[in-house]
Amino acid sequence: MKIPVLGIGVTKFGELWDYSPRVLVKQAVAEALNDARLKITDVDAIFVANMLSGILGNQENLGALFADELKSANKPAFKIEGACASGGLAIHNAVNSVLAGVYEKVLVLGIEKMTDHNPAEIAQALMSAGHDEERASGISFPGLYAILARAHMEKYGTKEEEMAAVAVKNHYHASLNPKAQFQTQLTIEQIMKSSCVADPLKLLDCSPVSDGAAAIIISNIKYQRSKTKRTVNIVASTVATDSLGLRGRKDLTTLKAAMVAGSKAYQQAKIKSSHIDVAEVHDCFTIAEILAMEDLGFFSKGKAARAITRGATKLGNGGLVVNPSGGLKACGHPVGATGIKQVCEIVTQLRNEAGERQVKGAKIGLAHNVGGSGAVAVVHILKN
Amino acid sequence: MGSFAYAQDDKIIMISPVKIWRHQKKVTQLLGKKGKIISFTIIRVPPAGYETEAPYPVILAELETGERITAQLVYWQKENLKVGQKVEACYRRIRKPDSEGIIPYGIKFRPI
Repeated sequence: MKIPVLGIGVTKFGELWDYSPRVLVKQAVAEALNDARLKITDVDAIFVANMLSGILGNQENLGALFADELKSANKPAFKIEGACASGGLAIHNAVNSVLAGVYEKVLVLGIEKMTDHNPAEIAQALMSAGHDEERASGISFPGLYAILARAHMEKYGTKEEEMAAVAVKNHYHASLNPKAQFQTQLTIEQIMKSSCVADPLKLLDCSPVSDGAAAIIISNIKYQRSKTKRTVNIVASTVATDSLGLRGRKDLTTLKAAMVAGSKAYQQAKIKSSHIDVAEVHDCFTIAEILAMEDLGFFSKGKAARAITRGATKLGNGGLVVNPSGGLKACGHPVGATGIKQVCEIVTQLRNEAGERQVKGAKIGLAHNVGGSGAVAVVHILKN
Repeated sequence: MGSFAYAQDDKIIMISPVKIWRHQKKVTQLLGKKGKIISFTIIRVPPAGYETEAPYPVILAELETGERITAQLVYWQKENLKVGQKVEACYRRIRKPDSEGIIPYGIKFRPI
């Protein structure tokens, strides 16, 4: 597989009270079109990634909404939803449509508007990604990942301080990313002292509530960016699913969907995990990055937490760098935009355009996007 | 343990009586079943509809049949919140009633 990424665009992530979803999408798409040197009428189709507009904003039919808003001249448009993996799933579907030969140039955009709503509303809306039994128990998404964290602590002796180290690293990376929601660095002590959300996860173990949009334009192999510009290609795009609720999982210390999608992606790209220079992984909670490191084969089971704590995946270490954007934790997590922002960050890194947060010499990158408590996972591998 | 719908502003608009009725068959099968805690948490920032209950523990229990259930733990002391704690399924109110007065009941666990 070789799918060129012609353009990328990401808005600032954060509490963007001045901006509506329409404005955010237009910003991200304008940036992507400009980057690709294309007009909206040049694209053959639009895929929209979003999770919560129906529940929180009472607005569905987003394909038509944004096709109209972007003045696309009656282009086909689709909304793809898979909870927090909506962005990755939308890219996967766009890639498939290009591979099938149905469309040549496709715009994929992700959008979420969350900060208009209070924490209880958001917690309830996010639980629509869970199992009905979980909803009735009154558990929240931090609670579901807390259950995974507790199981990992029991089996591998993972410590709360080691989970906090994930947040410390990702906040450091975000401090170098002007589009990140948080550009402040944190210490282990600050994270350990933050208020508990769902034991053992504390507020600063959790990704924030965010607004934001991201967009990419992909095409078939006939098209490249201009000769003077580096084109990054998608060389693997895989999806796997698992039980919707935690009740169906044999092993709580791994997300099998991520393992399956990861190993298929390495096969598709004909590489091994050790070849990855830079990865954006789904750190919705600090424990989730530890799981991702192990599920994607970067560290053996039970070893990732200690490795992250000693800085093995931090910028400037000379090896694999994880979440140079700041990840969901510190760059922000506007749910539908996240999977697309991850790919945008990898493209930026592989084009050597990431400035202060550039991973030196990065040639192969991976994006790992998870929906629900591991019910669906999407992995993309890109090469320059 | 049905899927309920709520409105914003804490005003509950619908808990389908049909859903509750359909669900009761499953609930009665679980009553009195014994198992143990596989993992647990304490919810301190609850979803809408559960605000008056927080903080409350939610456990993933494995029944003797091998089936796993996610539900709240009631009648608990701190020492009960541990992996391996034996529990029994009991019948409890799940949430506060809706505007029509329908009270959803379902399974919670108690330590034994």
